[in-house]
Amino acid sequence: MGASEAGVVDVNLIMDLFSLKGFLAAASEHGGEATHHGLSFVGLAVYIILTIAIIFAFLSAARKGFSPTVFKGRAAQWSEQLYLFIENLCVGIIGPHGRRYIPFIITLWLVVFTSNFVSLFSSSAPTADLSFDLALAFISVAYVQYEGSRANGVLGHITHFSGPKLSIALLPITLMIFMIEVLSELMKNVSLSLRIFGNVDGGHRAADAVTELTKAYYIAAGSFLLPIKLLTVVVQALIFCLLTCVYISLVTSHGDDHGDIHGDDHGDGTHGDATPAPAH
Amino acid sequence: MIGLSLGLAVIGVSLGLGLIGFSAMQGMSRQPEAIGKMQTAMLIAMAFVELVFLLTVFVGAGSFK
Repeated sequence: MGASEAGVVDVNLIMDLFSLKGFLAAASEHGGEATHHGLSFVGLAVYIILTIAIIFAFLSAARKGFSPTVFKGRAAQWSEQLYLFIENLCVGIIGPHGRRYIPFIITLWLVVFTSNFVSLFSSSAPTADLSFDLALAFISVAYVQYEGSRANGVLGHITHFSGPKLSIALLPITLMIFMIEVLSELMKNVSLSLRIFGNVDGGHRAADAVTELTKAYYIAAGSFLLPIKLLTVVVQALIFCLLTCVYISLVTSHGDDHGDIHGDDHGDGTHGDATPAPAH
Repeated sequence: MIGLSLGLAVIGVSLGLGLIGFSAMQGMSRQPEAIGKMQTAMLIAMAFVELVFLLTVFVGAGSFK
């Protein structure tokens, strides 16, 4: 550990602070000192394409059942339940102007849930890779910054980090609050990504460790962990979307009430004139 | 040494999760009509407590090697 040149701190020093260096895909490019523990880039791309294919298959099957009156077909009704669920989440947490964020949150939920679901059936999945989870966290936090800037202006968004407006005599406190808020914003990436990565990859490691017990008898005892893993799959997708909604609500508290409620607040939770089909 | 530290972390996390479940059970038994909301809140709280444990295992304990 140390500086590679006099007075220059290289990335390896920072990455050594967190032992996750070996999990990021970029680590395999650093001269092989900490090789990537997961899939290669191409291998991960295969699983991402599988995830995208599953999402497209589900949504195109749902599209066939869309109609102005009653949705036909199971996929269409499930997609309606998904929409109602995410709408409840967004409107409940962000407020009435939270409807504009529903498409983004639905996409996040679909990606996270499908990737987690793939992880139940194979030893690797997109969300079992820290690079993918970090990318998702970056996208989520960057979207929150973008929405905050759109609601309050870039300068207003940056001064939002300085906390409550104190008198000029308390300027050091304001600076400290600003630094802590910026650091906490950066830590949101870490916590969002590590939460999913730990749950999904931890599920894989736990299944490996339990299978070690009965390996000699050719029984995969790790598959008995599937119910618990299914619970964490669903919960982690919900938590990711819920936290993104919470972060959005923190930066857009009544910031953009003015221009976007044309026709957005009609109805009582169902989109268009569709009425929810009775559950069989 | 690493084993001991991981064991202590597990004690903290288990106590935390147990407390969450305990309060959730109490609340559900007092107001059975609010069970749905309590389940959601309980799962959300569990995710946060688990996060601390995962940070310990992956970020903390791994940096000892």
